[in-house]
Amino acid sequence: MSATGAPVIRVDHVSRWFGSVVAVSDVTFDIRPGITGLLGPNGAGKTTLLRMMTGLAAVSDGAVTMFGEPVRDNPPLYGRIGVMSEHETVYPFMTGRQFVGMMAKLRGVRDPGAATERAIGRVELESAADLAMGTYSRGMRQRMRLAATLVHDPEVLILDEPLNGADPRQRVHFQELLRRLAGEGRTIVLSSHILEEVEQLAETVLLIINGKLAASGGFRAIRAALDKRPYHVRIVADAPRALAAAIVGLPSVDAVSLDPDGAIVVLSSKVRDLQVELPRLAQEASISLRRIEPLDDSLESVFGYLVEG
Amino acid sequence: MDAIYFLTLRQLTGRWRVSIMALLAALPVLFTMLVVRSSSTPWVTEFETIVLGTMLAGSVAPLIVVAIACAAFANEVEDRTLANLTLAPIPRWRIVVPKFAAAVTVAAPFIAASALLTSWLAFNHDVAATVAVTLSSLAGVLMYSSAFLWLGLVTRQSIGVGLAYVVLWEGFFSGFVSGVRFLSIRHYAIALMHGLDPRRFVEDPHVGLGATLVIAGLVSGGFLLISTRRLRRMDVP
Repeated sequence: MSATGAPVIRVDHVSRWFGSVVAVSDVTFDIRPGITGLLGPNGAGKTTLLRMMTGLAAVSDGAVTMFGEPVRDNPPLYGRIGVMSEHETVYPFMTGRQFVGMMAKLRGVRDPGAATERAIGRVELESAADLAMGTYSRGMRQRMRLAATLVHDPEVLILDEPLNGADPRQRVHFQELLRRLAGEGRTIVLSSHILEEVEQLAETVLLIINGKLAASGGFRAIRAALDKRPYHVRIVADAPRALAAAIVGLPSVDAVSLDPDGAIVVLSSKVRDLQVELPRLAQEASISLRRIEPLDDSLESVFGYLVEG
Repeated sequence: MDAIYFLTLRQLTGRWRVSIMALLAALPVLFTMLVVRSSSTPWVTEFETIVLGTMLAGSVAPLIVVAIACAAFANEVEDRTLANLTLAPIPRWRIVVPKFAAAVTVAAPFIAASALLTSWLAFNHDVAATVAVTLSSLAGVLMYSSAFLWLGLVTRQSIGVGLAYVVLWEGFFSGFVSGVRFLSIRHYAIALMHGLDPRRFVEDPHVGLGATLVIAGLVSGGFLLISTRRLRRMDVP
């Protein structure tokens, strides 16, 4: 495993274009051990970026390195990487056990039989291991593909939309497995359109929009970096109309509205100031504050801001 | 390498593919049986031109090989499974060579059996002529397999391009434009047949046996080399 904190993957001013279409434009970031989520709308360039990070696609400009080595055309390095693409890249005539076993042999595992059993056990699919993969549900195929990705015990996992087709129980199991793998010091890059799950899983988020890195870091840190944009804050209080009238005068407040259910929705560009001013104002007006909640603090809303911006 | 070889064998031996290959391979044999039954006179020149040159070396063999060798990589590209292989920590030639070996393993029995039965029947059980035809057909399989294997990596329309090559280049231009035949796999396969049994077949005055063997090796090795290079440089879907 890589030394703690050192970047395992370095994407350095990477661009990729197809004719006149720019898929990825001058993207730079480092990835360290732990789980990193790669997010962006469809067509943002996530898959192209992941493919360049695995060496499957060439860069038009810039460089991608892993453990300090170029990743493109470097077969010895591939023994340290496990890649699960977004496509269902299985051979339908093979059983799950045959597929995982073949991947173990291709990746030079010393005891392919034992590694195959261990990997299938990790995804809890022993009961279906001897069925042809053409008969699997999508979720089962994804799990068996994950077993094939893990069979050589890779230090780096690059997973493109791995949760596609998984049912809720499988998602929970998958999340637990990824946390466990990350806890072992592995570097995991995960792309997903299911933002809630990435939010729950990823310590670091990379937001790709229109082929560019729009933001990176913890999703709350990303949101904080966007402080110039106003937050929506929902306030539930004893006397909403009186409080709303008082709030309008605060310098940290841009706009105030009242929901039909009586809650106040404040639009604030200076939410830190609001956090200080609001309790003081409520105390002076003898109004009890029942609940204060940010409406924009989910990854979905951060993502929405960036896309709209 | 074993894993890729056996995987490719399994991919290339679908029931429909094998049935069509068997049907194609049977055509020269059936044609020869009909001709032999209707005529007892020797007809080496006509047989060589029509059955061996045009039907077996120029049509049946390349058609069988184009369907098999192109698919060895084209199926993986189409199904997006090629990354399973290219992400293995092995040199690219260790992917290309087993694919080539599997394509030859599947194609060769059909073509060798067709060549053997056809020449055995046509040349009245002449062992030397039968061996010459069979071995030259196998050399053709090696050359065509390496060429069409490469084609499966460079275009998604490999079968169509391969068919156009067989019909236009091997079938048409190489027969009518004298210089083109030096760039024709069929020409070298036939030249090898001439060289292996000069008693039965008049040796090709332009290319001797030694030169033919060297060229067959260069063609096969050359296409394997550029296939390996292509696999290293291409974007894998």
